[in-house]
Amino acid sequence: MRMFNWSDFSRALMPVLFAGVLLGQIAPATYKPPSYKDLKYPVLREVKIPDIPAYQLPNGIKLYLLENHELPLVSGFALVRTGSLFDPPDKTGLAQITGSVMRTGGTKTKTGEQIDVQVENLAASVESGIGLTNGRVSFNCLRENTDEVMAVFREVLTAPQFRQEKLDLLKGQLRGAIARRNDDAPGIAGREFNDIVYGRNTPYGREMEYTDLDHIQRSDLVNFYQRYYFPANTVIAIQGDFLAADMKAKVEALFAGWNDKQAPVPAFPQVKGAPSPGIYLATKNDITQTFFEIGQLGGVFRDKNYPALEVMADILGGGFSSRLFRRVRTELGYAYNIGASWGANFDHPGIFRIGGSTKSANTLDAIKAAEEEVARIRTSEVTGQELATAKETALNSFVFNFDNPSKTLARVVTYEYYGYPKDFIFQFQKNIQNVTKADILAAAKEYIKPEQFTVVAVGKPQDFGKPLTTLGKVTPIDLTIPEPVKAAAQSNTANLAKGKALLGRVQQAVGGADKLAAVKDVTETADVDLQTGQGAMKAKQVNQSLLPGQFRQTQELPFGKVIAYSDGATGWLQTPQGQMPMPDTVIQQVQMEIFRQIFSLLLSDRDSGRTVNAVGENKIEISDKNGHQVTVELDPSSSLPIKQLYQSSGNPVQETFSDWKVVDGIKLPFRIAIEQGGKKFADVTVRDWKLNTGLKPEDLSKKP
Amino acid sequence: MSILLLVPLLMRAQNLKDFEKRVTEFTLGNGMHFIVLERHDAPVVAFHSFVDVGTVDDPSGEHSMAHMFEHMIGKGTTTVGTKNWPEEQKALAEVETAYDKLDDERWKGNKAGPAKVQQLETKLKEAIDKANSYVEPNAYIRVIDENGAAGFNASTSPDSTSYFYSLPSNRIELWFLMQSEWFRRPVFREFYKERDVVREERRMRVESDPQGKLQELLQATAFMAEPYRDLIGWASNIENLRAKDAERFFRKYYTPGNITIAIVGDVDPAQAKRFADKYYSSIPAGPPPPPMITVEPPQDGEKRALLDSDSQPLLAIAYKRPNQTDKDDPVFDVINAILSSGRTGLLYKELVTEKKLALEAESAATVPSGKYPNLFQFFSVPAPDHNIEENEKTIYGILDRLKTEKVDPATLERVKTKLRASLIHQLDSNSGLASQLAFYHVEYGDWRTLFTGMDLINKVTADDVQRVVRQYFVDSGRTVAYTHVPVPPNVKTNDGKGVAK
Repeated sequence: MRMFNWSDFSRALMPVLFAGVLLGQIAPATYKPPSYKDLKYPVLREVKIPDIPAYQLPNGIKLYLLENHELPLVSGFALVRTGSLFDPPDKTGLAQITGSVMRTGGTKTKTGEQIDVQVENLAASVESGIGLTNGRVSFNCLRENTDEVMAVFREVLTAPQFRQEKLDLLKGQLRGAIARRNDDAPGIAGREFNDIVYGRNTPYGREMEYTDLDHIQRSDLVNFYQRYYFPANTVIAIQGDFLAADMKAKVEALFAGWNDKQAPVPAFPQVKGAPSPGIYLATKNDITQTFFEIGQLGGVFRDKNYPALEVMADILGGGFSSRLFRRVRTELGYAYNIGASWGANFDHPGIFRIGGSTKSANTLDAIKAAEEEVARIRTSEVTGQELATAKETALNSFVFNFDNPSKTLARVVTYEYYGYPKDFIFQFQKNIQNVTKADILAAAKEYIKPEQFTVVAVGKPQDFGKPLTTLGKVTPIDLTIPEPVKAAAQSNTANLAKGKALLGRVQQAVGGADKLAAVKDVTETADVDLQTGQGAMKAKQVNQSLLPGQFRQTQELPFGKVIAYSDGATGWLQTPQGQMPMPDTVIQQVQMEIFRQIFSLLLSDRDSGRTVNAVGENKIEISDKNGHQVTVELDPSSSLPIKQLYQSSGNPVQETFSDWKVVDGIKLPFRIAIEQGGKKFADVTVRDWKLNTGLKPEDLSKKP
Repeated sequence: MSILLLVPLLMRAQNLKDFEKRVTEFTLGNGMHFIVLERHDAPVVAFHSFVDVGTVDDPSGEHSMAHMFEHMIGKGTTTVGTKNWPEEQKALAEVETAYDKLDDERWKGNKAGPAKVQQLETKLKEAIDKANSYVEPNAYIRVIDENGAAGFNASTSPDSTSYFYSLPSNRIELWFLMQSEWFRRPVFREFYKERDVVREERRMRVESDPQGKLQELLQATAFMAEPYRDLIGWASNIENLRAKDAERFFRKYYTPGNITIAIVGDVDPAQAKRFADKYYSSIPAGPPPPPMITVEPPQDGEKRALLDSDSQPLLAIAYKRPNQTDKDDPVFDVINAILSSGRTGLLYKELVTEKKLALEAESAATVPSGKYPNLFQFFSVPAPDHNIEENEKTIYGILDRLKTEKVDPATLERVKTKLRASLIHQLDSNSGLASQLAFYHVEYGDWRTLFTGMDLINKVTADDVQRVVRQYFVDSGRTVAYTHVPVPPNVKTNDGKGVAK
């Protein structure tokens, strides 16, 4: 087949083209476009940079005003020096919650819903939030409604009430967000990469967990607000269709009664350079791409090498004409998303990162290609054309920093907030033009440290083709979400001692700790009556365990046989439909089952990773560092462990054990009743328990 | 209340009059239409090229062809992006010849000789390598970048394809040159690598994203025949797209009469006209592209689809609705605002804050696009401890109320005010305006509809809302898709038991 031919096309359409000429269009018979190199441009007319006066109000508020009469709108924001960096370690999320409930929880005179209706009736908005390094309350409205909307703005900023119901609502929503956080693969990669590079146990790398939410109370919100929201800690910036003198008087009158005082807010915690470089893998089996992040700590804008680093990162991976884009996307066709940026912030190091996603089979090649590009930019100078392009781009696009006056206002306020010179953007522009090829190479060598890189990959390792270990030692990332702990017990010394004593009684009751410790493998055969959503069902189960962590289950059900195997980290399922990797949700459940396995559970006092805590006269709470937790209830007279209570997939589960018989000197239950969410789920009748039959790992792991 | 209503109304009239004074429109002899809006506040100009072709026009078996063009914009022209065009042209033709030979053999199926296929694959790869040797990497985008472009990108919708960026206002001639060269003769160089990139885009947006998967399932279930059934193109179609077919597609759809250009910013319309004549008028006109003629057969009953997914539950519900030029189109916009706008929207209020059944609940009036009959869609993310069924029932309860009770005047007025205000907010950016002007010109026949459409919204009554909900939000027009954790029928583990009782 021959390709479509352009000259045929033109001939075929001649009559139409001819008609165009008759109508007076300029259509030279042989059109020859100039080269872009020959175009001559007039000088760009000067940009208007608005003058933004700053005022200090008597109560300490700093005010910036910008008149902008193009549209009949007014908008503004208050910037408050606070941030989630000030979250207490056991209340991660407090700042975020405070910022949000400031608005939703209403004010002294209005509930949150009343504010919703009032501002939405005016097609206006008033919002509040707290980020990493600042708090913000903002508004926007039509010019006509300025007074009414600014009154609400003032109330949200100065008199929030944090109504309990809105705190509860948000906590419920955040619980949902935690439960869903592993559904979004690129989200996992970004989160884990950030947390590892900054350090998981630092204000920059900590994640909100269910326990944080349990700890956060309304009084915490009130205290957090009071500590940070006071006039001397607040900057207000307003722009739009008003006269500055009028607006200044308006703001002064509006906030005249706000005179709260607090000690100055301390500096934000520093980033502590404690990198734990290496290759990390989060397994997610339900995706066809691997999402990866590669990098290290970056820097701050005021570094003298920032301009060179910015140009370096731009050439490496800054856009459609960067090296990474060219290599990984255009030449290899490996990725839709690929890019790099030199992470800089105003006040703390950002993260130098290369990020992208590629089909599972290309994982290794894409990561290697990215690392090779890093090596190249560290060993040889960029080309003259690359540098010229970077400089031309920066110079010619500079005007877009001023195409809307609001950008100037935002910049003035931000520079002031972080203590940067007013003309920082012009200095930066000048410095970019002075960067040399040698500067870029020197900066890349000095700042980019591949041996300190953290690599995070999220994907399905069995499809990678080549294993990730080809790149080096791989540390698995445990994505298990610690289950919400209901009324976490106080683990003081007394409770711990009592817990140990209670567990000792249980060990005695079933036959002694040494007997339990001697168990190496277990085979349990049982008949199960299941109550499922689809009705009742009978099953026969054989459960084989090789202690502590290997598990195999064979089930016979009306529809066929199912075999499940897991070593606690990975596993597979064999069903009548075929074999498949064990879904992450099932692996999480198996981990809980392994944790609750009666032989190891009753010896939890011998495991330094577990806490055994008394939570009542005859109740022990056993937990581990991975967030597993179970409450064991003792029969007061026999001291047998007759009940287990735990959470599974967010639902409360209760198991009741009875019909105890001695097997090889150990008392074991032969009937187990399981309730889930308060409803009957299963009755289990154990036919027999067999201990120490000499099971080998391969007996459990072998595929049928 | 009525005073509130008057103010934005006046503003509408002022805006339109004000805009009309600043807009210049002209059509070249070859049919290409230009809309130029002067806005001299800052020395910058936004360009938006709107081509009236979208994924609905993908030929059968070539899904994602329209989308490929969005990816080819950066590949350049016969003058930019090549080291030697005459040689490259020959090499590209040889790639197609080699590919034809390979396809001829491969499509024999069982009768294809594996050794021969392998040999032809090698030949194809060699031909591609040769063609690539003439490529000047990234040249087209680099020229645009160096001249200070902002927001360079392109996008494909079911109904249209757009190419856009902004430039400092002294450099507008560059846009006329570069974009006209591409519309005159784009070169499909590196086509097969870019096809891999589109395949990766599908992996990222659909295959690795539970929400993307669910949306694909919903559209494919709701539409039996209409091309809106297709979200981003099926993998097998993408993997077999051909450059020669792209040439055919280009010839058919990228005719000047099918392209509208909007230019907004610090621009002199007379100069824009001169440049348009100079650079665009010699592009030959072409016959009007064929319309998309497939009409979805009537739906005779609710459709339900289940997606096995390890993710937490997601629910999507859609109702069939008429297209954007239907008289009831503004009523759907108002219904959508009643349901989803801000914190006072009924879905958010009832599902998220009052009953706490959902983390998010929202609707969209026109899915996936509006030119043809489409979907009014609901999307809900159930909260922990609550399920799909409760969310679904509650959404139906809200719709039932809209059928039996008339929406109160305060709510109706609030959403109209908000819709008007959102128009004013849109007028703040050159690039946003350029995209709107081109869209309204093509899809509604006149850019003024951007403003006059507000009059139609204003006329919507509580009776209209009730009538439209009763007429269209019916079981027989409904499609429901939701996720479900896959558990083999006999391993009941959604509670932690079963696997290890």
